[in-house]
Amino acid sequence: MKKLKDKIRDLGRGFKKDAAAVKTEIEIKKLHHLYLSRKRGHMAGLFEELKKVKPEDKPEAGFLINQFKTDVQEKLDSLKAALSAPKTKDAKFDLTLPGKSRYWGSPHPLVVFQERIESIFQSMGFTIESGPEIETDYFNFEALNFPPHHPARDDWDTLYINDDILLRTHTSPVQIRVMQKKKPPIRIITPGKVYRKESPDPTHLPMFYQVEGLVVDYGITMAHLKGTLEYFLKALFHDKIEIRFRPSFFPFTEPSAEVDIECTVCGRKDEKCRVCGGGGWIEILGAGMVDPQVFKNVNIDPERYSGFAFGLGVDRTAMFSYQIPDMRYFYENDLRFIRQFSRK
Amino acid sequence: MKISIEWLKEFVDIDLSIPQLIDSLNNIGLLVDDVDKRKNDVILELETYANRPDSNGHLGVARELAAIVGKPVKEQNWPLVENEAKTADLIDIEIYEEDLCPRYSGIIVKDVKVGPSPDWLKERISAMGLKSINNVVDITNYVLFATAHPIHAFDLAKISGGKIIVRKANKGEKLRTLEGEDLFLTTDMMVIADEKNPVALAGVIGGENSAVTEDTRDVFIESACFDPVSVRKTGKKAGIQTDASYRFERGADVSFPPKAALMAASLMMQFGGTATQGIIDVYPKPKKARTVLLRSHRVKELIGVGIADEFITNILTNLGFSLENQQQGIWQVKVPFFRVDIEREADLIEEVARFYGYDNIPSMVPSYNVLEYTRDVKKSFISKIRQTLFHHGLDEAVNFSFVDPEKDALFKVGLVPVEIRNPISEKASIMRTTLMGGLLENIIWNINRGAEGVCLFEIGKAYSWEEEVTHEDTMLGMAVTGNNEPQHWQAKTEKEDFFHLKGACEALLSNLGYSAYSFEESKNPCFEPGHSICIYYKGLRIGSLGRIHQDILKAYFLKDPAWAAEINLDVLFEKQPKAFHFTPIGKFPTITRDITFIVGREVNYQDIQKDIRELQLPFLETFDLQDRFTGASIPKRKVSLSLRFVFRHPQRTLLAEDVENSITKAVKMLNAKFKIELRKGGKIDK
Repeated sequence: MKKLKDKIRDLGRGFKKDAAAVKTEIEIKKLHHLYLSRKRGHMAGLFEELKKVKPEDKPEAGFLINQFKTDVQEKLDSLKAALSAPKTKDAKFDLTLPGKSRYWGSPHPLVVFQERIESIFQSMGFTIESGPEIETDYFNFEALNFPPHHPARDDWDTLYINDDILLRTHTSPVQIRVMQKKKPPIRIITPGKVYRKESPDPTHLPMFYQVEGLVVDYGITMAHLKGTLEYFLKALFHDKIEIRFRPSFFPFTEPSAEVDIECTVCGRKDEKCRVCGGGGWIEILGAGMVDPQVFKNVNIDPERYSGFAFGLGVDRTAMFSYQIPDMRYFYENDLRFIRQFSRK
Repeated sequence: MKISIEWLKEFVDIDLSIPQLIDSLNNIGLLVDDVDKRKNDVILELETYANRPDSNGHLGVARELAAIVGKPVKEQNWPLVENEAKTADLIDIEIYEEDLCPRYSGIIVKDVKVGPSPDWLKERISAMGLKSINNVVDITNYVLFATAHPIHAFDLAKISGGKIIVRKANKGEKLRTLEGEDLFLTTDMMVIADEKNPVALAGVIGGENSAVTEDTRDVFIESACFDPVSVRKTGKKAGIQTDASYRFERGADVSFPPKAALMAASLMMQFGGTATQGIIDVYPKPKKARTVLLRSHRVKELIGVGIADEFITNILTNLGFSLENQQQGIWQVKVPFFRVDIEREADLIEEVARFYGYDNIPSMVPSYNVLEYTRDVKKSFISKIRQTLFHHGLDEAVNFSFVDPEKDALFKVGLVPVEIRNPISEKASIMRTTLMGGLLENIIWNINRGAEGVCLFEIGKAYSWEEEVTHEDTMLGMAVTGNNEPQHWQAKTEKEDFFHLKGACEALLSNLGYSAYSFEESKNPCFEPGHSICIYYKGLRIGSLGRIHQDILKAYFLKDPAWAAEINLDVLFEKQPKAFHFTPIGKFPTITRDITFIVGREVNYQDIQKDIRELQLPFLETFDLQDRFTGASIPKRKVSLSLRFVFRHPQRTLLAEDVENSITKAVKMLNAKFKIELRKGGKIDK
């Protein structure tokens, strides 16, 4: 028993000395191994010797060994902690240096804005439909009640492939395609690229994005058209935005409407406003009740069903919303432009 | 259309302020685009629509305003000073094409003193944005802008044989227009001819040979109606649009020609002329006014609010319609000839709605019922691809679909491009067959503006002819070049390379569940030889990836190497991806073993990977390439590879023996197939 006590004391002194000399983590590990290793450590040796101690001395001896083990363990832990702790004596670490970051690519603003529009309509149960961009005259014009040689076609300056095939000037052909294959109730939006023969300038481009929509069911009225579009515009801009509906003309709707919102840039107060030109209103949507002739063209009975359709330019609306002065920015893909929309 | 407020007042009494007037016009759909305040007048720029030719004149706008304020349009008197002659004795009118010219009226004003216009006329003409020519021509324009009905003045002396013939042009005929342009006429063009030659392009423009000049004494005033489609075709063919053809191609009031002729003749009395007796009026098949049935319940069903019958009848009557009540809430509505747009009940309902006021229509979201759920797989896949690519540091681009045919051809993708017949410019005259061109365009744009590196992707269509039909494929294009800019001060700048793009491709395919992809080296004319691979999914070619060929780099003025990839998403999405299932998480510890060996450079890692997979080593959880090394210590044409194998048993702790057998098996296979030499501690272990 005395022999064991002496050994514990000697080992304790040795450990104290060793511990005082420790400078690195590797040395701590070595000490750990030397004293605490389960197979070859001093502690293991002590427990081995404990077996030889008389039974009446065992509790005390066991207590001493365990206490020693705890002391070593705690000392090593505290040494380790001290080593990894920041050195207050060293020159102060500059915590104002920038944090680390990882580059994430930025989405294109038009895609971002289109998705915003889509999600509002999806919340009202609209589904998204798409169709070809290279279309026939029938789907782009005739089925939509533009007779051949009608001057209304002049408002949709067209890029042609040949006499019959063209680049769609709006996404309305998708509405025709959907009505041809689906029976009401129909509630869809049709986003996509459209094309016009326009010379590029800050507000006109030969290609841009559109989102159109169509609702067909029993008892759909102009009041529903107004309600749905007001819901949409309030969600897209803000709850208090002023909205104006006024009569217009589209061959595929009757009655037709155009929807303006107040100019949020000048608040309808600046007569020289760069954005609204002083008029105070921004034209946002074209809309109307589906023309009976369009229904006849797709074999839907206009006496039984009614519906409304609408369309808006994504580029134009995004320009207004983000206050982008020139539409051409969207298609230059300048990283200094696109990366501004990483937060969007 | 320019509208002079002072001129409007000649047609209707208005006691509205200018802002009130503008608001009233906007509310009924006559949008005021611009207001020009002049000394004695205010000129409004009105937006008019293709279906409302009547609003292209002051009379038409006055009719709308009269309906708002509930006052009648003022009747005007057009007195004449008549001479001895009868109109019909001096001119003979014959219409060969009755369908294309339903009515032709005219009158002759003799002894007109052609000269400068009086001030009142000059003022009106200038308010319309035109230059005054002479008093006779100005009167014809005055009538057009007053009534929206185009008329024309001929020098009677220049009408050969005193005969007017409305006919199609004969082959080989020519006409020099008032503007001095020579037209070669074709047989589908409508002309006004005298006994010998065409003297005007019907409804479009007069001929120089019959024009009113300073020397003219007697004027023949033509006031006719021409078929809209015929005028449009004739005008398009001649490449001419005039104030007259603009109105005729939208449709003219067939009841109006004699009135317009009378108005013009009466005004010309001021210039000393006298009128011949009787307006000549050839109207072979007089038209009946159109009638349309209107039911008040349909008004409510379409607009969504009940409108009183009294309101409906009042507003339509004020607008010039006459209503015959058939039964309670149902009318037979007679449409005035000046409203060429009203053909159906919906058209009448729009009239009611316009004057009821769109602002007064209630606004309500319908109680939308739930429709059948359809999952838009393509959309959700594309959204996932975009997220993956953002994570890989690629920014998103959107380019025009039309491109320069010469540049698109450089990529030699083997598709027949779709050409645009009337492009914006030669450099945008075909639809792209690949997305890579646009992305390279974007790269040089950014490099020229100081970017050190550019990584972009675009999801959009490529277009082509397939047999006789056009084909559109949704493509994913990617391109990278330059430095991968360090994102923070501790990071090092890295050069973009092939493996950045390949990693992005692998990640997006795996994330969608298309893990069974593979790559094959291949020749692709747009990539450098030896730096070009194709991407396959279960044996189906879905895309390609490589280093852009230097000839193409040159064409885009790019100096540094660039890599690009393109994947056909429509082809990929046709394949069903592997369904996702949860994999149990192992509870027992893993054993990791590395093997490092030297192998010939001609050996593909993908082959090694495939063969190891085929061994189906027991308990192998993962293995991957840990390191690849070439250097002084490695023989030429050889490469050192380190593979890391991680093993785990699902139910117990693994034993060393479990693992050693597998490693031995792998080494044996690699030895047999690829002649590897194992390395240990940097030395070859024989």
